[in-house]
Amino acid sequence: MSTQQMHIDPYERNWMIFSGILLVLFAVAVSVAAFGMGIQVPAPEQRVDPRTVATDPSSPWSNPGLREVSPGKYDAYVLAHAVPNWEFLPKELSVPVGSSVSFYVTSSDVQHGFKIQDTNVNFMVIPGQVSKLTVTFDKPGTYNYICTEYCGSGHGVMYGSITVTP
Amino acid sequence: MAKKDKGDEDFRPTGTIAVLAIFVITLIAIWATIYMILVGRGGTL
Amino acid sequence: MKQYQLSTGEKKFVGSHLLVAILALAVGSLFGPLQAFEHAGWDIYPYIKPLIKSYYQGLTVHGVLNALVWTTFFIMGFLTFNVMFGLKRPLKNMTLNKVGFWLMVVGVVTAAIPILLNQATVLFTFYPPLKANWAFYVGLTLVVVGSWVEGWGLFATYLGWRKENPNERTPFIAFASILTSLLWQICTVGIAVEILTMLLPWSLGLIEGVDPQLARTYFWFTGHPLVYFWLLPAYISWYAMLPKQAGEGKMFSDTLARLSFWIFLVLSTPLGFHHQYVDPGVPPVWKFIHSMLTFGVFFPSMMTAFTVVASLEYAGRKQGGKGALAWIGKLKWSDPSVSAQLLAGILFFFGGIGGLANASYNVNLVLHNTAFIPGHFHLTVATGVTLSFMGISYWLLPYLTGKKLWMPKVAVAQSWIWFVGMIIFSNSLHVLGLLGAPRRVPLGLAPYVPAEWNSRLFQVGVGGAILFVSGACYLAVMLMTALSKEKVAEEVEVPIAEPMQDPALSPIWLDRWAPWIYGTLALVVVVYGPQLFELIKNMALTSPGFKVW
Repeated sequence: MSTQQMHIDPYERNWMIFSGILLVLFAVAVSVAAFGMGIQVPAPEQRVDPRTVATDPSSPWSNPGLREVSPGKYDAYVLAHAVPNWEFLPKELSVPVGSSVSFYVTSSDVQHGFKIQDTNVNFMVIPGQVSKLTVTFDKPGTYNYICTEYCGSGHGVMYGSITVTP
Repeated sequence: MAKKDKGDEDFRPTGTIAVLAIFVITLIAIWATIYMILVGRGGTL
Repeated sequence: MKQYQLSTGEKKFVGSHLLVAILALAVGSLFGPLQAFEHAGWDIYPYIKPLIKSYYQGLTVHGVLNALVWTTFFIMGFLTFNVMFGLKRPLKNMTLNKVGFWLMVVGVVTAAIPILLNQATVLFTFYPPLKANWAFYVGLTLVVVGSWVEGWGLFATYLGWRKENPNERTPFIAFASILTSLLWQICTVGIAVEILTMLLPWSLGLIEGVDPQLARTYFWFTGHPLVYFWLLPAYISWYAMLPKQAGEGKMFSDTLARLSFWIFLVLSTPLGFHHQYVDPGVPPVWKFIHSMLTFGVFFPSMMTAFTVVASLEYAGRKQGGKGALAWIGKLKWSDPSVSAQLLAGILFFFGGIGGLANASYNVNLVLHNTAFIPGHFHLTVATGVTLSFMGISYWLLPYLTGKKLWMPKVAVAQSWIWFVGMIIFSNSLHVLGLLGAPRRVPLGLAPYVPAEWNSRLFQVGVGGAILFVSGACYLAVMLMTALSKEKVAEEVEVPIAEPMQDPALSPIWLDRWAPWIYGTLALVVVVYGPQLFELIKNMALTSPGFKVW
């Protein structure tokens, strides 16, 4: 006996169709940026033991800093912690302009955030996990990296800086 | 129980379209602005 | 035709929810201005050190009381009212619902003690390895379980009605309230598992470590649908009550209102990864799938926008409104319940825009954990939801108490002051976020603040001050109404907007629960199952607790 029909006002039907198309367009734009322009979100990189990641000599984060992989290409191992002090190690980095730097960041204690100002490097730093994103520094200057997740009293003073030399 | 009033059949939500048009234009403008910031800051791979 | 009347005991029961909710809001809101002034460079925290040890303890109180207690209690009270009034019957088992209510109250007190003793300064997200006192986790669990028990009481009442009315369409406000409660019960499984399998045993010393990435995943399983638990009750009022109040309007489409709620049920939970786009431990493919589903859940809000505005337009034109937009002026802006909800809706539009941007996969790289986020959620939960709830209470409190609303003109002014204050407050936070300012930081003291941020930081303080005035007005109106000796002349009429088409004419599958519930659960299993399985299989309980505050 299902002669019951959905009665939808034609204006509202058109609005729903329009909304659907609009959302699809946003999805396309996002996909272009992700798959066409290489602007991607972090992917699982590595698991580590947060209890030893900062102290085990075989762990790169026991000696955080830049490693030149090839001319103009660097890996940056950054350790975030709140104990004993709220800081990123190293607190300073320097690369020449045009360098591509891949950041590998982890925490030896609580969750932190890592955001390099004026770049798309912005991710969670979770003990037990390694977060990785890459950035090419096209413009010289100073770029702060700041903690963006509550990690205790010193969260608001936790930052470092990258100097990109001309 | 729905009581139909005289004129219910004639009601066309044209003002609604006007309000939603403003909303959609604002939505697209703001979304596009943030998208352009994303694109301007470059690739992450 | 006289409306169905709740008994005195039932009114008292609903009213007790409002009481706890408003008390929570009163205390939680005290910290809002402190945070806002801090951003503007005026740090008051040192002066209150005996009571509150830090910005972050205050922020924990603010978040827990406003985002978890004010909301949950108001919502359960409103949903309980809607079920009784909508189905025109008492609760099946009032004792059961009362047990639920008291569990929630005990839970709040249990969690409040460690928070006030600075043993749970973990913010309302309580991400491990930050480790709070065990009582904090017990308290939160009791609040959630209490809300389940109240929900079961609502379900039992509905099933009783259904048995006696097998062929009738469920009245809209009851249908939508049952759905909201059901959604809540499905999604809270996430934090229940997080607390019961990890955080509680850990805080009691029964296990040595937790897996923070897995804990986050459990949390955000609940964390996104949580916002629909907050939002849908406001939508119920916007769909089914506001049009009547605004100008004797009707519900433009009962069919699409119901359909939008069903879509919310199905799509609210299977997209929690959009809060984890920049988590290291979740693969991009799942993040992308969740982002597409999130675009999907925006769709029923677009439907809601049309139906609600059309219902309001009908009301405006009925009151003589002409022209493309001038009818808006003919709505009953002098009714404080109307002005609050209309202004809440306007700002909610902008909250929705920001939400869509946050949800747009890689666009999140620009916005994650910046000040844009608190800018966004102050438009959505703190205005769309909170200001609407304030508006609802402007008729609900008189209804429950029989007292006349104290100084309606003050109540109307309250909504406008909130509106102006929130524009200034929230807009500055959004812009600060785009400039790179982080959230959860006392920016007034941060060493990396460039001069570029200063004017906006000052505006945050100005907005916060204005909001404080509005909050005080709201509390004054509520308090003075409750204490008033002036009774209403006759029973307060519960505003119900009749649907323009007979609900009995809409398809039967809009009033059948099983297929929609199966669909919801199936989708959750498909888009969460594999990744949860991976995370659990590779669980590493290697993080001990830290008390770093």
